[in-house]
Amino acid sequence: MSRANRPFKNVGEAADARQKQAKKRSLQTVNEHFEPGFNEAAATQVVFKPPVKAPTASLYHRIVVWLLFLILLLPLAGTLLYSLSTSWSATILPDGLTLKWYAALWSDERFLRAFGQSLLVCFGALALSVALILPLMFVVHYHFPKLDTLMNVLILLPFAVPPVVSSVGLLQLYGSGPLAMTGTPWILLGCYFTIALPFMYRAIANNLQAINLRDLMDAAHLLGASTWKAAFLVVLPNLRKGLMVSLFLSFSFLFGEFVFANMLVGTRYETLQVYLNNMRNSSGHFNSALVISYFFFVLVFTWAANRLNRDKA
Amino acid sequence: MSLLSIHNLHKSYGDTRIFSDINCEIGQGEFVTLLGPSGCGKSTLLRCIAGLTDVDGGQINLGGEDLVPLPPQKRGIGMVFQSYALFPNMSVAQNVAFGLRMQKVAKDESEQRVREALEMVELGDFAARYPHQLSGGQCQRVALARSLVTRPRLLLLDEPLSALDARIRKHLREQIRAIQQELNLTTIFVTHDQEEALTMSDRIFLMNAGQIVQSGDAETLYTAPVDAFAAGFIGNYNLLEADAASRLLLRPVNSRVAIRPEAIQIGGVGIEGTIVSHSLLGNVVRYRVEARGVQLLVDVLNRSAADLHRDGQNVSLAIGADAIREVA
Repeated sequence: MSRANRPFKNVGEAADARQKQAKKRSLQTVNEHFEPGFNEAAATQVVFKPPVKAPTASLYHRIVVWLLFLILLLPLAGTLLYSLSTSWSATILPDGLTLKWYAALWSDERFLRAFGQSLLVCFGALALSVALILPLMFVVHYHFPKLDTLMNVLILLPFAVPPVVSSVGLLQLYGSGPLAMTGTPWILLGCYFTIALPFMYRAIANNLQAINLRDLMDAAHLLGASTWKAAFLVVLPNLRKGLMVSLFLSFSFLFGEFVFANMLVGTRYETLQVYLNNMRNSSGHFNSALVISYFFFVLVFTWAANRLNRDKA
Repeated sequence: MSLLSIHNLHKSYGDTRIFSDINCEIGQGEFVTLLGPSGCGKSTLLRCIAGLTDVDGGQINLGGEDLVPLPPQKRGIGMVFQSYALFPNMSVAQNVAFGLRMQKVAKDESEQRVREALEMVELGDFAARYPHQLSGGQCQRVALARSLVTRPRLLLLDEPLSALDARIRKHLREQIRAIQQELNLTTIFVTHDQEEALTMSDRIFLMNAGQIVQSGDAETLYTAPVDAFAAGFIGNYNLLEADAASRLLLRPVNSRVAIRPEAIQIGGVGIEGTIVSHSLLGNVVRYRVEARGVQLLVDVLNRSAADLHRDGQNVSLAIGADAIREVA
């Protein structure tokens, strides 16, 4: 028995079948109407296939990538090996391996103090940046979007003036008088804030543009949230990614900063890079251990922060 | 008695007038559409009603209460945005519950109401998902649930379907209309799409250059445009200048004339013309016909291939007297 003639169990099924048949009929009519057109289209249609990669091209690309990777890694690997060697001067490979340079470094009180002071200045400057830049970004993008153009010019200034030049200016301005703070970590906090500003402003500005700030704020307002609540509950959590990325970038940059730290503060508040400079006449193995420790710390810190910054969903 | 009354509302940015002398009354449970081209002031008017943009003068009364001095939080208005405006850091359930959280509704009641709202938009199984895991249509349904869950007195829809593809748009507009009717919720819908306006609305306010140029139900707007703009914006009217109309109709005409393309019939005894071109619009075939030096659009139901007329074919056109409408 054909499906069309089969008795239906109930009225609903009959209605469903009627609709399906009607649809089939109308499609048939449409197809008949357009059949020549469809056939012409089928004859000229292009069948897309994924591009086939030539094996030599693929090998070439791999070689380029690995070479680049090697070039970047080689100095670091050499430094690592040097820091682990007992002595290494007239031979291709080190005479022996040891951890004594790391032991000496990590038991050096001056190094630990410089390391801690570097961390303190970096985190302090970043905390100051977050406290000042986040509200600024919100005000600029929500209330005065035209100011964004001016801000984009202002944030270029720390890069436009060379560090040595601005250091001299800062030394003159803050060397004496009521705002005398050269030789103290306070001047580094302020100075590092200006260095972090461009990184943070750009990253957060991109983030703000991506989330459509105005519509989110409007939606939150209409749902009963005050501007503060909307900013804290809706906007701030959505800036997390941009904020964290800019913080990592700024941290890596500030942790390795030398010119301002050396010229504005020097040994009076020794940071890691100033310490490294002051130890340049000691053993090369010791200095290598210091550089590797510095790289390793930045690497672990960035990795851990990236893990924490992952999306929930 | 009307729920929402707007009197002499006006708004400008500097020297640029956005809208002026807006007056309208909207009754409880009515579905009203603000229809008009881009830049005519319809979205700004909606934002002024919501309290998201200040007005320069005039009154907005909702249920007897003057809304103008109130902030958006206190207006009891729900709004759905074209961009969805879902909070990306919150799940679907948290998004929908946000308004209730702000109202400090008890947790049990809030969960119950969120569940009901999501069921209403057929997204009961999507509560734990995040906005980036949803399609555009689903996002807009969540936005609708979020604005309904707080039980607003007035629902505003700012081009909610514009960012969606045609099939989803059609389904969603039916769903929005069904929910609106079920809840008897007064709704103002903004669109520039005449098909959306005609199929969904109880009443349409047609706007142009910051003013309401015509209002009425879909049939009135479609069949009786008050001026050339209304005729040009609604449907695909043939708009003829007075001299062209006189030539076509063989009688003196003093103003512009609008003729609906589907009101012109091909066949029988009438005005002789020649088919210039034709295009297939699915169930309708649109012919461009030249008659007495005037080019006319003629829409004919696409019954079968055998009924199609060829380009260059001579045909005769019949235009009923009631289809010819003189407009300003």
